[in-house]
Amino acid sequence: MKKQALSSSSQRFMGSLDTILRQDSITNHALPQGSRFHPAMIEFQHVFKSYGRSRNILSDINFRVEPGEFIFVSGPSGAGKSTLLKLIGGLEPASRGSISVNNQRIDKMPSRARPYLRRAVGIILQDTHLLYDRNAIDNVLLPLKVIGLETGVAATRARAAIEKVGLSGKEDMNPIELSGGEQQRLAIARAIVNRPAILIVDEPTANLDQDTARRIMDVFRDFNRVGVTTLIASHDRQLMAAYASRTFSIDHGKFIDSKGVAA
Amino acid sequence: MRRWLRQHRYAISVAVRRLLAQPFSSLANLLVISLTLTVPILGAAILITAQPVARQLSVSPEMTVFLSPGADAKAGAELAQRLKAEHGNDIATISVVGRDEALKKLRSNPNWTQALAALPSNPLPDAVIVTLHDHPDLARHADNLATQWRRLPQVDLVQHDSAWVQRLEAILSFARIGLLLLAIGVALVVLATVFNTVRMQALTQREEIGVARLVGATESFVRRPFLYLGALTGLTAGLAAIVLAYLALMPLNAALMRLARSYGTELTLRLPDAASLLLAVVVVAILGALSARWSVTRNTRF
Repeated sequence: MKKQALSSSSQRFMGSLDTILRQDSITNHALPQGSRFHPAMIEFQHVFKSYGRSRNILSDINFRVEPGEFIFVSGPSGAGKSTLLKLIGGLEPASRGSISVNNQRIDKMPSRARPYLRRAVGIILQDTHLLYDRNAIDNVLLPLKVIGLETGVAATRARAAIEKVGLSGKEDMNPIELSGGEQQRLAIARAIVNRPAILIVDEPTANLDQDTARRIMDVFRDFNRVGVTTLIASHDRQLMAAYASRTFSIDHGKFIDSKGVAA
Repeated sequence: MRRWLRQHRYAISVAVRRLLAQPFSSLANLLVISLTLTVPILGAAILITAQPVARQLSVSPEMTVFLSPGADAKAGAELAQRLKAEHGNDIATISVVGRDEALKKLRSNPNWTQALAALPSNPLPDAVIVTLHDHPDLARHADNLATQWRRLPQVDLVQHDSAWVQRLEAILSFARIGLLLLAIGVALVVLATVFNTVRMQALTQREEIGVARLVGATESFVRRPFLYLGALTGLTAGLAAIVLAYLALMPLNAALMRLARSYGTELTLRLPDAASLLLAVVVVAILGALSARWSVTRNTRF
């Protein structure tokens, strides 16, 4: 039933997203949820993270995320939400424990292999990290230049990604000319243009008004509906209540999984 | 392969964009490197112009064996025969110039006419002029022969020009070492300038590097534009240095020509051949790329 609903909403969404998110690339990781007999999209086993000799920011974290899940990571500032997302994206190493992402052990992954993992993980950090020395479309083109995609194909995909986040007509504008919400959407376009299997987003709605925040969340929801596993760090309880199907709560090193697996 | 070429094309376009983004800074760097490179090119121009002059002198030394003033008329011809018999392998040509013939030649020079007219008799001796065959160490060999020939009867003086050829060779050898040290110094200047340029660029492009890594760029992808930046800087500076050296040679040659003409000769400084210049430009471009790699590896660890 759930798969059916996923499939019908996918078809609707794909109508306009055909160029950027092709059916086969999505269904590859849009596997049925709940099964323990297929590889998890993300799996943490006894993960600890500390900086230097300071206390553990994350302590003995265990969870398993199935393909296509939509998860909020909540907690007060400094609780370790961003750190958790950075561990998933391979931006920082764990101090201890094992982390699997997209069926690859990233804690044992040589550093030269990490870039290839990051191509499968769309990362949107709290600071959008847009490049202000180039226009919007060139920002979105960067991930495609990184993989050496043909110029024409890359341009089509970048325009499709920009259209998907509702920024059509603003391709040639410098990011500095865009509003906060538009900049956030441009960062989303850049993160999804490479058709990632996983989207990790850090505080996407901070500093945005409610309407803009909801529009941004709808974009994430749409991508999730076509099978992109999505993890969003936020402390906005209203948004979580409106969108989340599962929540990880981190507070003072304690990790609580709303699915019922507490560490 | 196409993907690889596209990534390299992208890296080159990024390198060019970065060079053009800071035109004054890029131009200043290019000027420093090209002016520094001009010095050894001019040094090489002087060396390659002087070298054949020395070589020409040293490969065909003319030795003049003067006989004693009291030597009889046949002594010159006898000495020539003896030298040919004993040192035939060393001698290329040999001729006897009698004292009367020598005086006649001297008289044909208007500068000497008056002086010779004042003399009561011919002061010139008979002479045997010997030209030696080529030898790996011709100057030393000529010295040895001169020492032997001085001991022969009726020989008064053996005059040859190996001493100053040896001196010139020593000067050129010194100049070659100097040029080598200069080239090493220039290489260090290229390395340091490109290193610093790339360091500044890496700091300026910190955000872009961070974003590229975030979206899955490999370290090769991050480094590549900087390597091209270094290579392009070296290449452009090398070509500019050749143009500068060429321009500098124009007034130098004009002055040198006036000096040479006053000695009744023609001498012009010329640049090394095209292959050597091309090699120098390629070496500078490679040095630029190597320096850039070193710099970008050190300055993008964040």
